[in-house]
Amino acid sequence: MAEPMQVPIQYNEAVVRKFVIASVFWAVVAFLVGVYIAAELAWPEANLGFSFINFGRLRPVHTSGAIFAFGGSILIGSSLYIVQRTCRARLFGGEALADFLFWGYQFFIVMAALSYVMGYSQGQEYAEPEWHIDLWLTIVWVIYAIIFVGTLLKREEPHIYVANWFLLAFILTIAVLHLVNNAAVPISMYSAKSYAVYAGVQSALIQWWYGHNAVGFFLTAGFLGMMYYFIPKQADRPIYSYRLSVVHFWSLVFMYIWAGPHHLHYTSLPDWTQTLGMVFSLMLWMPSWGGMINGLMTLSGAWDKLRTNPALRFSVTAVGFYGMSTFEGPVLSIRDVNALAHYTDWVVGHVHSGTLGWNAFISFGAIYYLVPALWKRSGLYSNRLVAWHYWISTLGIVLYISSMWVAGIMQGLMWRAYDAFGFLQYSFAESVNAVHPYYVIRWMGGVMFFVGALIMVYNLVMTVRSPSTNLSGSDAGQFGAAGAVVAGE
Amino acid sequence: MEDDISEIIVGIMVAVLGLVGLVMASGAYDSEIFIFGLSVAGFAVVFDIGLIRRHHDRRALARHRGGNHG
Repeated sequence: MAEPMQVPIQYNEAVVRKFVIASVFWAVVAFLVGVYIAAELAWPEANLGFSFINFGRLRPVHTSGAIFAFGGSILIGSSLYIVQRTCRARLFGGEALADFLFWGYQFFIVMAALSYVMGYSQGQEYAEPEWHIDLWLTIVWVIYAIIFVGTLLKREEPHIYVANWFLLAFILTIAVLHLVNNAAVPISMYSAKSYAVYAGVQSALIQWWYGHNAVGFFLTAGFLGMMYYFIPKQADRPIYSYRLSVVHFWSLVFMYIWAGPHHLHYTSLPDWTQTLGMVFSLMLWMPSWGGMINGLMTLSGAWDKLRTNPALRFSVTAVGFYGMSTFEGPVLSIRDVNALAHYTDWVVGHVHSGTLGWNAFISFGAIYYLVPALWKRSGLYSNRLVAWHYWISTLGIVLYISSMWVAGIMQGLMWRAYDAFGFLQYSFAESVNAVHPYYVIRWMGGVMFFVGALIMVYNLVMTVRSPSTNLSGSDAGQFGAAGAVVAGE
Repeated sequence: MEDDISEIIVGIMVAVLGLVGLVMASGAYDSEIFIFGLSVAGFAVVFDIGLIRRHHDRRALARHRGGNHG
């Protein structure tokens, strides 16, 4: 008997395309604002005397822009791409629901940024929006969860590919973190002002349980989902060890959730809680490095592709930075190291080695893969421009993090230095003066990273518009079944 | 079919959100809620018009295809 003919599935790629465009747009905005506030730190007169562009208001625009706008858009977009293809199912809920997810999320970003520059903030790092914007995001996030879980439930593949496990953990945990950390009582539904339901050290603990797990589940678990799909795709190799990826998943999600108290060393938080946060941070070395090794070893037998595929180079370097920053993080969580590093620019450098090196690079790798696939082009407009983007960004990161290491360690040493009479040897202003050259170097690193992003924008626009990337008949199947066995499809 | 049901549910939900936005803007104590409320209402109007347009586009396409094959 003849086998029944498989009807090709009409994936919803329109919403993925929109998220990819949004992520590239927000990347440029977030990097530009970052460069500007770095200039404000080096040359305070760059503030120009305007309240709405001072460092305090623009800093959350930069962090939210980079994490939630750029990172969030590419995370949501790529997750919708991955879940459809690995489940062989069109997105649950129809086009209207997916469209609401896209436009609702962009609306959240614009409203949050607008409120920051107007001076409204609940003063919690990475959770600055006031209650009404939090509620809007809750609605959008619930819709996201419905679409993702609904698609998993109607899948035609019996197996749930590991990338989807990471993405599901990201979606569900961020929902819980957002709801608990933003529990607040507004003074009126007609006022933006609200009061958190927690006070004192409980408030601090909840905030850093949220803050660190925003790193753990937004910037790590979600992007690991991208890694487990796009690196095998780009390398055309299966994951090095599928079993290791499952161990990576369960150990990571179990350990990360306990690590938050390391942000509160030497505070009124009970000692045992601080120690618990430190110990779990140290234990995180194992799953983090297990995941890094799994990502890198996926290239076994395909290392030569790094020479010819600069987009893959982004993804692989990202995994390297993931390993480096997940080594540095636990080191910083050790109480004695933290005594030197806390409140210094070392922490800023650490965060940027993770966000620029890991999150942005794995995103660039995914974007360079997705754009030709989504717009049905034969390939990228210019691999040479991708290489330029890669090198200029890498050099920018090196300048950024090395200058912040030097500045941070110097700050820490100056703040703890005593003279022979037991007085502080340096005033705070002297430490500010001492780090000025490093702030200028950091700004230069940021400018390079920003220029790299502009090169990417040009390359992507030309990829979509140039006749040189038109799909010929022989290329037609490139983004269909090719590589189907390597990433859960 | 899934798209039709989805459009109705999402359309009603967004319309309700838009009305809540209008209520918030109407009684706003500060510029933040005023701008947010009006923006939500504007978002709802534009989004729902988009849904209606797409619904009719799809119907027209279906009629067109039906005509070609009929």
